[in-house]
Amino acid sequence: MNRYRWLALPIAAAALAVVPWVTSDTIVQYGINALLVATLAQAWNIIGGFSGYPSFGNSVFYGLGTYGTAIAMAQLHWSFGSGLVFGAVLGVACALLFGIPILRLRGPYFAIATLGLAAVMSAITATVEIAGKNIGLILPLFRGDTLFYELSLILLVAATGTVAWIARSRFGAGLVAIREDEDAAQVMGINTTTYKVAALTVAALFSALAGGIHAYWITFIDPASAFDPSLNVRMVIMTLFGGPGTVLGPVLGALILSAVSEVLASQATGVASLFYGIVIVAAVLLMPKGLLDLVQGFRDSGWRYFVDNVRRYRI
Amino acid sequence: MQLFGQILVNGILLGGLYGLMGLGMGLVWGVLKIVNLAHGALIMLGGYALYYLYTKAGIDPFLGLPLAMVAMFVLGYVLQTALLNLIVRSAQLNTLLLTFGLDVVFVYMAQLLFSADFRTINPPYAGKNVTISGVVVPYAQFGAFLVALVLAGLLFLVLDKTRTGRAIRATAQNLIAARLYGVNPKRIYAITFGTGAALAGAAGGLYGIVSQITPYIGVTLTAKSFVIAILGGLDKPLGVIGGGLVLGIAEAMAALYLDPTYTDIISFGLLVLVLVARPAQLLGRA
Repeated sequence: MNRYRWLALPIAAAALAVVPWVTSDTIVQYGINALLVATLAQAWNIIGGFSGYPSFGNSVFYGLGTYGTAIAMAQLHWSFGSGLVFGAVLGVACALLFGIPILRLRGPYFAIATLGLAAVMSAITATVEIAGKNIGLILPLFRGDTLFYELSLILLVAATGTVAWIARSRFGAGLVAIREDEDAAQVMGINTTTYKVAALTVAALFSALAGGIHAYWITFIDPASAFDPSLNVRMVIMTLFGGPGTVLGPVLGALILSAVSEVLASQATGVASLFYGIVIVAAVLLMPKGLLDLVQGFRDSGWRYFVDNVRRYRI
Repeated sequence: MQLFGQILVNGILLGGLYGLMGLGMGLVWGVLKIVNLAHGALIMLGGYALYYLYTKAGIDPFLGLPLAMVAMFVLGYVLQTALLNLIVRSAQLNTLLLTFGLDVVFVYMAQLLFSADFRTINPPYAGKNVTISGVVVPYAQFGAFLVALVLAGLLFLVLDKTRTGRAIRATAQNLIAARLYGVNPKRIYAITFGTGAALAGAAGGLYGIVSQITPYIGVTLTAKSFVIAILGGLDKPLGVIGGGLVLGIAEAMAALYLDPTYTDIISFGLLVLVLVARPAQLLGRA
C-alpha cells in the first residue's frame, strides 16, 4: 500500500480538476475561494511553518499582487497574464526590500513589525492616485469561473509541489534548523539571512499570484479588502490547524476550515467568526502541533494524546 | 503658535490614555511572556462595562471606574487560570494564536450583546472645559489623563513595595528561582493577567469618555498598545506612560501638519522603525 501512496496526490488533484464539470456554479465559486486560501496557507507555511517566523505581512504580498494586477489591467490596459506577472514582481520586490531588515527581528517583534507593515501599506495604497486612492479599482469583467477555478488549482498544486521539494531539500533542512535554533544554525554554517529572505520571497510569490487571480475574478478591489489583516490570520490558523511545517497540513486545514465556515455562514451570518475563535482556542489547547500530528499521536497513544499535550505545556 | 500649543496639549492628554493602554500590555508581556492580542478586546469590554454602569446604574463614570476594573480583573484572573495557564509553556506562536482566538470570541459576543452602534459615555460635564492662555483643556480629557497617571504610579508602587509585587517581578526575572523561593506561579500569573485586564478595562472606560466605543475598536488599540509598550520598556510603568505620550503627540502633530489619514502611517511607521533600528537596547531589560 505504502508503495503507491504517492499516487494519492495526483488522483486527488485530478478529482479536484473535474469539479467544475460535474457540480454547480455555487460549489465552483466556493472552490475558487477555498483553493486560493489554501494556496495562501501553503505560502505562509514556508515562512511560518518551516522557518518559524510568524509573518502577519503575507497579506501585504497578497495585496500587492491584487493591486499590481488591477493597476496593470484597469489603468495600463495590459493583458491578464502580464498583470499577474506585474503583481508577482511587486510582491517579490517588497519581500526582498523589507525582508532583509525585518527578518532580523525575532518572535513577537517580527510578528508585530509585519503587522505594522501591513497597516502602512494599506494606508499608503489609499493615497496613491494610480491605485484609485480610497475608492479602489474596477477590473474588466470576465465571466469564466471554470478558468479561475483551474488556475487556482494549478497555483495550489505548484505551491504544494514547491513545499514538497522544500521539505526534502537542503534548503528546507536549513529553514527547519533556523526554526529550532537560529544561533545554532548560523554556527553550523547556514547563511540564515539568505535562507530566511529566500523563504519569504517564495511565500510572497505565491501569495501575490493568488492575489492577482482573486482580483480578476472578483473584478473590484479596494485597500481595505486587499490588505485585510484578517486574511493573514486565516492563513495562520489554517496552517496551524492542519500542521505547520508539513507538506499537506496547510492544504487540509484550509479546505476543512473553509468548508465548515462556509456551511456555518450559510446557516447564520456572524456565527462563522465566532466559530473561528473557538476553533483556534480549542486547536491551540488540544492539538498544538496540528491535525496531522493529532492523527499520528492519536494512533499511537489514543485519548492520552490530549492529556499529554496539556500536561506538557501547562505551568 | 497657539494652534501648536493646543495640538501639543491634545497630544499629551491622548498620550496619557495611550500610556495606560500600553501598561497592561507591557505588564502581561514582561511577566508572562505572552503578547496578548486580546488586549484591545479587553479595553473594549472595559469601555462597555463603564458605559452600562453609567447608563443603567447612573454611577458617575470616574466613580464607576474602580468597579469596572474589579470586573475586568476577575475576567482576566479566570481566563488565565482556565485557559492561558494550560499553554503558557508552549511555543510563543500558540499563545499569540490563543489570545487572538479570544479576541475574535470577545468581539463577536460584544457585537451580539451590545450591538455595533457607536457608544459614548456622556456625563454632564463632558462638554465643559477651561481655557488657559488660549489653550482649551476639556475637563473629561484632563480627568482621564490624571487617572492614567495615578494608575501608573499605583502600579509602580505595588510592583516595587508589596510582597505580591515583588513576587511578580521575581517571576518575570526567573520563574524557576521564584518557584524555589515559594512563589506560586499559577497564582502570580493569574494575578498579573488580571491586573493587565483591569488596566485595559480602565483604559477602555476612559476611552469611552473621551471618544467612542464599538465592538471593533480593539484591533488598532492592540497594535498601538504594543507600540507603546515597546517604546516605553516592558517593566517600567512610568516609561510606558512616556511611550504613550510620544505616540499621542506624534499622532496629533501628524494630523495637523500632514493629513489625518497619515496618523496610522505615523504610528506604525514609527513602530517598524523603532523595531528595526534598535531592538536589542530597547528590549534589553524585557
